[in-house]
Amino acid sequence: MTAGWPRSAAKRPQGAVSSALEILAMIARCGPGVTAREIATQLGLPPATAYRLINHLVGEEYLVRMPDLRGFAIGRRAEQLLSPVAAPLVPLVAREVIAGLRAQVRFAVHVVRYTPTALRPVDTDPDHPLGPDQRIARYLHAAAAGKLLLADADRWRELLPPGPLKRLTAGTLTGAGELAADLARVRAEQVAYQEGELRPEVACMAVPIRSTTGALAAGIVLSGPCERAPALRRHLDQARSCAERLAPLLT
Amino acid sequence: MGQQTGLLPQVREVSPVAGLRRRRLGFLPVLAQSVSATAPTAVMATVPVLVLARAGPLALPVVATAIAVVLLVVHCVTQFSRRMAAVGGLYSYVAKGLGPVPALITGLSAILGYAAVAMSSLLAVGVYLSAFAGRLGLSGAHRQWQVGVIVVAAGALAGTLMVRGIRVSSLVTLVVELVSVALITVVLGALLVVAPAHLRISALPATVDASSVALGGVLALAGFIGFESASTLGAEAARPLQAVSRAVRWTPAVTGVLFALAAVAEVGTLALEPPSAAAYSSVPLIDLAELNRMGALVPLLDFGIAASFLACTIASMNALVRVVFCMSREGVLPPILGRTHRRFHTPHYAVLAMTALVVLAPVLLLASGTAPNEALTTLLILSAYGYLGSYVAVCVAAPCFLYRIGEWSTRTLLAGGTATVVLLAAAWAAVDGTPWRLTAPVVASGLILVAGVLWILLLRLLAPGRLREIGLYDEATASDLLWLPGRGREGRRP
Repeated sequence: MTAGWPRSAAKRPQGAVSSALEILAMIARCGPGVTAREIATQLGLPPATAYRLINHLVGEEYLVRMPDLRGFAIGRRAEQLLSPVAAPLVPLVAREVIAGLRAQVRFAVHVVRYTPTALRPVDTDPDHPLGPDQRIARYLHAAAAGKLLLADADRWRELLPPGPLKRLTAGTLTGAGELAADLARVRAEQVAYQEGELRPEVACMAVPIRSTTGALAAGIVLSGPCERAPALRRHLDQARSCAERLAPLLT
Repeated sequence: MGQQTGLLPQVREVSPVAGLRRRRLGFLPVLAQSVSATAPTAVMATVPVLVLARAGPLALPVVATAIAVVLLVVHCVTQFSRRMAAVGGLYSYVAKGLGPVPALITGLSAILGYAAVAMSSLLAVGVYLSAFAGRLGLSGAHRQWQVGVIVVAAGALAGTLMVRGIRVSSLVTLVVELVSVALITVVLGALLVVAPAHLRISALPATVDASSVALGGVLALAGFIGFESASTLGAEAARPLQAVSRAVRWTPAVTGVLFALAAVAEVGTLALEPPSAAAYSSVPLIDLAELNRMGALVPLLDFGIAASFLACTIASMNALVRVVFCMSREGVLPPILGRTHRRFHTPHYAVLAMTALVVLAPVLLLASGTAPNEALTTLLILSAYGYLGSYVAVCVAAPCFLYRIGEWSTRTLLAGGTATVVLLAAAWAAVDGTPWRLTAPVVASGLILVAGVLWILLLRLLAPGRLREIGLYDEATASDLLWLPGRGREGRRP
């Protein structure tokens, strides 16, 4: 949509990009409710240019117009930019609890943290590294930890990239219907599994760690070879009790 | 429903229009909704020649002016649609610009516009399908009765589709509209190829008076009305602020191109000896086809026009239902109309009520012995009043709205002001030319207006609190914001 752009920005798209980022930064700094005119004044932008950029960012849902229609806040879509790069802290006490579980089971134990739209491994098993390609964080539909996040979302399809679901192995669920059914099961049982869906030989089980309000804050993932999947599932109660102990430490 | 968060008191947890299938509809169905509401095929078949007959040599500047006014209105509408995801369309916009009482009058005007255009389109489906059956030798003698049956059947079909969901109904209208445009393009192409291309300007009125030119302008404008109807899909569209604004901008372009194609083809074949033969009939294109000895194409035209009107019925009713739904959620109309279907997530009671209304009115008109074509004209004029009223309101409201929210724009003031003046002047000039008498549309719109004002006064007196709720829209809820400071996200409890 070039028609709606300010003339100066159309000449120099990089100018519009910097202004847009400055607007985002300013709203993040001032907190929800800052008005378009305040933004224009503070950043020294011509009002018409500022309003156009702001409305564009609101249209893209990086910003949100507050219900009074005057103020702005950072929108949920901006989450994708910010949360995955912020380093979350795992307290020492929590690390000890996780190490305790690792000592009890003969499986890899990882802990991930969740934002509303993404997940991030925060404590990976030193004996069983996750692999360099971050599959667990990139393919939510195929990973047990990812399914926990999707099952918790109101509109899970929006958390996945548009287009057909990527087939990583022969076992990956790529039909929207079968994935939806699996997520309904995850919601009901509060545990997610995958067997050979993310990598051909690996099975996983993930249980949620929830805050007192019920929000999904983190998850424990147990993983091992596919042929030991039944043994993996027998550790469900241990994983859950560990999650309960971790809840006050991670939320 | 009005539950609010602790830290940011103005942000709700739950959308005031919860129950609809929010933020799902892709851009194509949103555009289809707006384009279908303008009934492009029916416009292609009728409007260019009608405008030519009234404005004569001034037809081109008149059409250009009409398009310019439409673009000004588009500018005003998108000032709102880029900033709020409304369910009540122009009604909700005016509420934010001018306040509750002007909004209610606009809402009434919009309801009148959408309802009357839905009624007339439904009637037109009956008229053209019945003519289609007649030409194929399928119909009996009782034409009035036949039209009535088709109206009821088409109304039931429209109602069912609307309850099933906005996605289904807009995709159906899209397909129907495409078929219809394809049919009429075939006919126009055939006319251009076969007919001798001799335009006789002399056959048209050489001198025209101001009111007839103005009427031509209003008719040209009427070819575009409905383009704003995507503004009632704010809750259901994905990325609504972009999608709705885009649909409102693109619809006049789509309709305009089709209009221009039809105008070129029709003017090229306009070989009329007596000037008025085709110019004043209800569907000039059919007469053109017959005059050029291409009668075989006429059933195609009948069918295509009926299809376009069916799409227009569904699109207008979708808009109508959402305005009514919005008013009900605000407490202006009974709460039952604001309920949504558990599975289909559509306002099914509002659909039911509006379908009954839209089917009943033409059936009653037919039962009272009114000729279908006469009823059609009456309803179309009524809808034009309704639409023009709401357009004027939104043009006045746009600069006020921008002032209110602190995003003042002189450009919008100029656009809104110019559009308001031209719209009012054209309407006045068009009315001025016709002898002032109490025609059915005048009486009907007068009665509706009086009833509406009484209803507003009653609301003010008995329930002033409800007026405050007016202007409800699908505002940002807590889940749309990036983590509110210090507040955990609500999740599903196991």
